[in-house]
Amino acid sequence: MDTLEICYMSAGDLSKLVQSKEISPVEIIDAHLSRIDATEPVLNSFITLLADESRAAARQAERDIQAGRYKGPLHGIPVGLKDLYNTGGVRTTSGSKIFDNFIPTEDCNVAARFQQAGAILLGKLNMHQFAYGPTGENPDYGHMHNPWNPDMVTGGSSGGSGSATAAGQCTITTGSDTGGSIRIPAALCGIVGLKPTYGLVSRHGLTPLSWSMDHPGPMVRTVEDAAITMKIIAGYDPKDVASAKVDIPDYTSALTGDVRGLRIGMPKEYFDAPLDPQVRKAVQDAVSLLESMGAEVREVSFPMFDQSQAISSIILMAEATAYHRDLLEKDGHQLYEPVRQRLEAGLFISAADYLRAQQARALFDREMRRLLDDVDLLAGPTEPITAPELLAPRVLAGEQEIGVVGALTQYTRPYNINGFPAISVPCGFSDAGLPIGLQLAGRPFDELTVLRAAHAYEQATDWHNRRPPL
Amino acid sequence: MASDKQLTREEFDVLAEKFGISGDPAYIDELFSQVRGVFIGAQAIREIDVTNVETDMAFMPRVN
Repeated sequence: MDTLEICYMSAGDLSKLVQSKEISPVEIIDAHLSRIDATEPVLNSFITLLADESRAAARQAERDIQAGRYKGPLHGIPVGLKDLYNTGGVRTTSGSKIFDNFIPTEDCNVAARFQQAGAILLGKLNMHQFAYGPTGENPDYGHMHNPWNPDMVTGGSSGGSGSATAAGQCTITTGSDTGGSIRIPAALCGIVGLKPTYGLVSRHGLTPLSWSMDHPGPMVRTVEDAAITMKIIAGYDPKDVASAKVDIPDYTSALTGDVRGLRIGMPKEYFDAPLDPQVRKAVQDAVSLLESMGAEVREVSFPMFDQSQAISSIILMAEATAYHRDLLEKDGHQLYEPVRQRLEAGLFISAADYLRAQQARALFDREMRRLLDDVDLLAGPTEPITAPELLAPRVLAGEQEIGVVGALTQYTRPYNINGFPAISVPCGFSDAGLPIGLQLAGRPFDELTVLRAAHAYEQATDWHNRRPPL
Repeated sequence: MASDKQLTREEFDVLAEKFGISGDPAYIDELFSQVRGVFIGAQAIREIDVTNVETDMAFMPRVN
């Protein structure tokens, strides 16, 4: 089989071939390592590449499968983890040279689940330093580059996960999403990114940014792969105080292609905000397609959307500074300057203002729950813009010039405030050939409905089949 | 700390010194700009009516 075809196959398709022994995990890993060799000089997706280790694991997987010990749909499938997921015996830098030699003694919960499922760890992926930024900048290990145009950002903070998945370097990657860090690079790199409900995937063993808003989740090329991955990584973990005790369904059961009767709300405030007209059109076309497939679409109003940046900023900055305060005092001079500035700015937030933001968060949660009494999903753009140029401080969104950080987190932060599930799925390209993402969000722990709609849309379009010109 | 009135540069400099913050002038200017943004955000939140709204508990006693 052609190497590139292997690299762009979904986990769902690859697993069928692995199970039937039509392809070996060794062949899969070799294909991906070749792809990484060819594209990594442009993309810089990896901080640590585990070439020898992944080949050895592939040989073991091949032996196991040949001996009838097939473990399931991720057996022999190449996975990359954002470099803030602790991996036993493999360094975990959190994107900072301060932790260049930090080698955890044990796997985080998610890494352990992948390991048990037989997935093969290809490496640790580049990220915005300490996950504290939405662009994918990293002076310590090199900035990340968008596969659709290397002059543009990948989005962040899980930028290496976005580029590695979009470029066929990994079949499955993971991100962590505190203000949009899964969905932002997913949208800007043209892949699928699912931020699950808060508490559904364990945070144990991940470097925190903001305890109450950190969400681990999958970044993949198809909605089916998101469903397959969630079945593996979701589940209660007593080591995570926020872990939810809920039944984990077979998420693939939702992938029916049928959206008839599904009620989709489009918050009008999303479209009053600064928004690139090409993104607006792509998202409106996407929702119209879902309507033509039988979904009921209606305009809804979510006035507190306008306060989402203020609420999430105060909470995120206070929690991030609380977590990193010792590091800031001891090694602040080694931090990427914009990261250090954000951490130092958090020192100026009073406890009273933090708690006021938490009160506002409770109101925000109530308001969105009321909205979701009347509709099943909320739809809108994942991003108001396509990928901006690397290191650009400001960007044009429609007719307004706004800061890049504010722009990139404009539509993603609301679902970090309340922890509701949200997915970004490709829904078009700009005239410049850059991907556009549709965001669908649902009720807490109702990933099934989110995945159902995203999958039906994906299967009715071919955006997910396009490949970057690498 | 964030308060109802706008933060002046002099007030910021005093607080920054107390927090042990140092850096070249361009760095400090940018930090001041960000902190003013924090104050504006905090002010926006104070304008939300949160009467009788209690925050979700960050701490729950365990059964055992």
